[in-house]
Amino acid sequence: MQGGHEMRTGQIYTETVVHLAPERFAADVPYQVAIVKLDNGESITARVEGERVAIDDRVAETAVRDGISFFQKTL
Amino acid sequence: MRPVAIVGAGKTPFGAFPDQDLRALAVTAGQKALQNAQLEPGAIEAFYLGNFAGPEFTAQNHLAPYISTALGMTGIPSTRFEAACASSGAAFFQAFMGVASGVYDLVMIVGVEKMTCQPTPRVTEILSGAGDCATEVKAGSTFPSLFAMMARRHMHDFGTTREHLSAVAVKNHANGALNPDAQMRKVITLEQAMNARPIAEPLNLYDCSLISDGAAAVVLCSADRAREFSNKPVKILGVAQSSDFVALDQKPDITTFAAVRGAASKAYEMAKLAPGDIQFAELHDCFTIAEIVAMEDLGFVPRGRGGFFTAEGGTRRDGPMPINASGGLKSKGHPVGATGVAQLCDLVQQIRCEAGDRQLKRNSIGLAQNLGGSGATCVVTILGEY
Repeated sequence: MQGGHEMRTGQIYTETVVHLAPERFAADVPYQVAIVKLDNGESITARVEGERVAIDDRVAETAVRDGISFFQKTL
Repeated sequence: MRPVAIVGAGKTPFGAFPDQDLRALAVTAGQKALQNAQLEPGAIEAFYLGNFAGPEFTAQNHLAPYISTALGMTGIPSTRFEAACASSGAAFFQAFMGVASGVYDLVMIVGVEKMTCQPTPRVTEILSGAGDCATEVKAGSTFPSLFAMMARRHMHDFGTTREHLSAVAVKNHANGALNPDAQMRKVITLEQAMNARPIAEPLNLYDCSLISDGAAAVVLCSADRAREFSNKPVKILGVAQSSDFVALDQKPDITTFAAVRGAASKAYEMAKLAPGDIQFAELHDCFTIAEIVAMEDLGFVPRGRGGFFTAEGGTRRDGPMPINASGGLKSKGHPVGATGVAQLCDLVQQIRCEAGDRQLKRNSIGLAQNLGGSGATCVVTILGEY
């Protein structure tokens, strides 16, 4: 785990796949952004890696890069 | 607090105008409003500018006196208000307070934005500044994506469909096609609207408002003096502003705008009116889902029914609650800092029976709802016959 964080887990509250992005994210398009309701009660906006997620899916944090949290679907 | 009226209104067409800079647009709208009120600039006692990102789009700052002096006003208080896409709504609310309190008799509000001088990715970036740059924007959220996430959740919770979203776009384009000042005077089909290229799923190109240049202005006057300046004054029955978190992820429920509900309840209370008394409305359809959520928060329909009501034709010009007879931000255009005052100009036009082919039959009480960001600011205004 990068950044020295505990690996956080939670559930997808909502999500979107972005097709039109500002220049600094243009290389990432299309990418998925989601609001994750963490199990500690907080809500954060994060990127989703790997398989696309839908509302209510369980996710776990896989990395924090440049201050952005990345999550992936779990079972 | 004393009653206040609008005695002058004027705006530029909305569109892409490479030959007109920000100040030229603002001055044109201001002059039209002064002419409409048969006033000389020297009669105005305070100037309120609504503008979101003039410095970022054009590099010019200190915009309020830059514009008011060009209109021929010197020596008066002249200040810019910024509240994202609700900038001119916020300026209007402060101007209203200035007259209602008795400090001024005559004030002018101008809303303006010059956006088409920047390429689309840069526009997207500038607009992102209305979100929380340390969290949601950093993670890659754009404004379409924030409203897309609201749409996803609204669909999940209430059964709103892709077709419902497109019904908003089809209706607003049909109205805008009749508006000579609209940027995109084009009728679109449901099929076109549903199959446009994706911007942020589930939203596509036709769910998004336009990138526009434009300005709008109104002159306010204490109601007791309104007949001196206009034979068709329009009364401000109620106006209120409310706020909420800037970051979407801090809102406990993203299928409703707390700031819209807050501003609406105060505006209804001031006007001593209920949602059922409103005859027509201009709502902030920056994205199709925003119109659906707003009509629910304003109490025009029960929660979750906005999409269904739209698909049934309830918001068309011939429906029970006509919404965005002007074409809305979707078709008329959305020069963000101009939008709040432009909505008021559209209400004034309807109430004065000057809306041409778009004229509504029930036109004596209208409501405008101006939203900033993903709902961190909202201004609700109710206008009526004098």
